[in-house]
Amino acid sequence: MSITNKAAIVGIGDTPTDRLGSKPGEPRKSSAEYIAWAMQLALEDAGLSLKDFHGQGLGVTIPTAYPQPFWPEEVSEILGITPGFLLGGATGGAGAVSLIGGMSAAISAGLIDLALVVGAAAPFSEHWGGGIQPGDMRDWEIPYGTMGPNSKIAMVMRRHMHEYGTTLDHLGKIAVTARYHASLNPLGYLRTPMTIDDYKNSRLVADPVRLFDCVMPANGGKAYILASPERAKTLRKKPVWVKGFGERSNPSYGPRAGSDALVMGVKDAGRVAMEMAGVKHKDINFLQLYDDYVIVVYLQIEDLGFCKKGDLKFFEDTDFTFKGQLPIQTGGGIINCGQPSTAGGVHHILEGVRQLRGEGGERQVANAKIGLISGLGVLPYGKNLGCCAVAILGNEV
Amino acid sequence: MAELDVRKPLPAITPEAKTFWDNAAEQKLTIQRCQACQAWVWTPKPLCNECGSDKVVWTPMSGKGEVYSFTVIRQVVGRAASKSFEPDIPYVIAWVDLEEGPRLITNIIGCPVDKVELGMKVTVQFEKASEKIWLPKFKPA
Ligand SMILES: [Zn+2]
Repeated sequence: MSITNKAAIVGIGDTPTDRLGSKPGEPRKSSAEYIAWAMQLALEDAGLSLKDFHGQGLGVTIPTAYPQPFWPEEVSEILGITPGFLLGGATGGAGAVSLIGGMSAAISAGLIDLALVVGAAAPFSEHWGGGIQPGDMRDWEIPYGTMGPNSKIAMVMRRHMHEYGTTLDHLGKIAVTARYHASLNPLGYLRTPMTIDDYKNSRLVADPVRLFDCVMPANGGKAYILASPERAKTLRKKPVWVKGFGERSNPSYGPRAGSDALVMGVKDAGRVAMEMAGVKHKDINFLQLYDDYVIVVYLQIEDLGFCKKGDLKFFEDTDFTFKGQLPIQTGGGIINCGQPSTAGGVHHILEGVRQLRGEGGERQVANAKIGLISGLGVLPYGKNLGCCAVAILGNEV
Repeated sequence: MAELDVRKPLPAITPEAKTFWDNAAEQKLTIQRCQACQAWVWTPKPLCNECGSDKVVWTPMSGKGEVYSFTVIRQVVGRAASKSFEPDIPYVIAWVDLEEGPRLITNIIGCPVDKVELGMKVTVQFEKASEKIWLPKFKPA
């Protein structure tokens, strides 16, 4: 079974991100306002209206900041939609990409012919108390003083440097490339180009993780609209087709009590997605990789098979800019554009769609036809990221 | 405004982990092992994650291992409970590979932070966190 060319992205909505007062004049908006704003932008982009979505699909990324089990239903209330198919993206930062799979499958099966996927968060203007929820993190991590994902990714990064000789120059190249792209993106937040020394001199947060290794939380909202082939052909913009999809949750490489923490589930998810799409590495014109940390982008390039694990020379020789052999993070990633909690995962889809429409502006990848998008979520005990989803998008049937 | 609670968060003694904490209070490090396929099961689970058998038995460990990787915590971030670790900064969080195989998240203690190295041999030392909870931490062997 495959969902290749059974659904297309026909509309995107991307609000500016803000950090409430970090820059002058930043607004105080709620998640609900960002959700409505992102949806309006996506409707306008597609040439659709709210009433088109009654009885259709609604997918909502579930933020991690607070427990709200009925969040997708509440979002339908906020927007005034009565969905015929409601999904929550509960795979953290992977949720946005997971929902491409779920919604495309529902469209392909004929349950719906339109789906709105929306996500937002406003961590700087909304606060929940939030206790520690049951699970490994409460019982086996936090009592030792772990500080969220920083602590575990720092151990992954140090181990990679130890095993393969990876240096701050190798990693910094990714960070500098992403920032360069953000400088060319009107929706970037950190838009001042930086040097490799700026990266190396940024302050240590959890050795060896530095400030410029980390994603930047922000307020914001993001949305995209999927349509069946029949609907897609009648709408305003050139459809961007879903060519392939793969997902791997709770991946383990080696024994589960001691899995290889340097391998990510995108290794499996990417292979499945590429096989479904019928594409090889050489066919892929750009990568938009989930970027909670610089090392995570680096590992994905290895695990997706663009080079062998530990092939430092590949990273030294490859130009990752939009003009290069393997463009990555052409919008700047959420490290530079901001991460509204799990809605951050939508960023990479929206940038992929822009590139495939030829709307990349100053950072347009020439002749882009096929792009790979990844989403990642949660760092389970003792392993690398736990939810990994990959979508292949293309602008030709 | 209420006083900020600066007590360190403790693990819950869940049914599947009770034996672990009972043994830890007697300074014994135990990990579940599957009697059907001999796989180690960690963190505590109701069944073997490799073969699905529920014949998992708490098994004494040597308490010896080595540092697979580590980080030095230099600032507290996130939830309010993190504040309780501020007086300990800088401190080391490590992945320790026990010589039998399983990998634990723990602290390296009894060693200056700049002397911790990957591959360093370590041995378990329990630290009392409450009447019922003794946390397994590791010091240079
Ligand atoms: Zn077993």
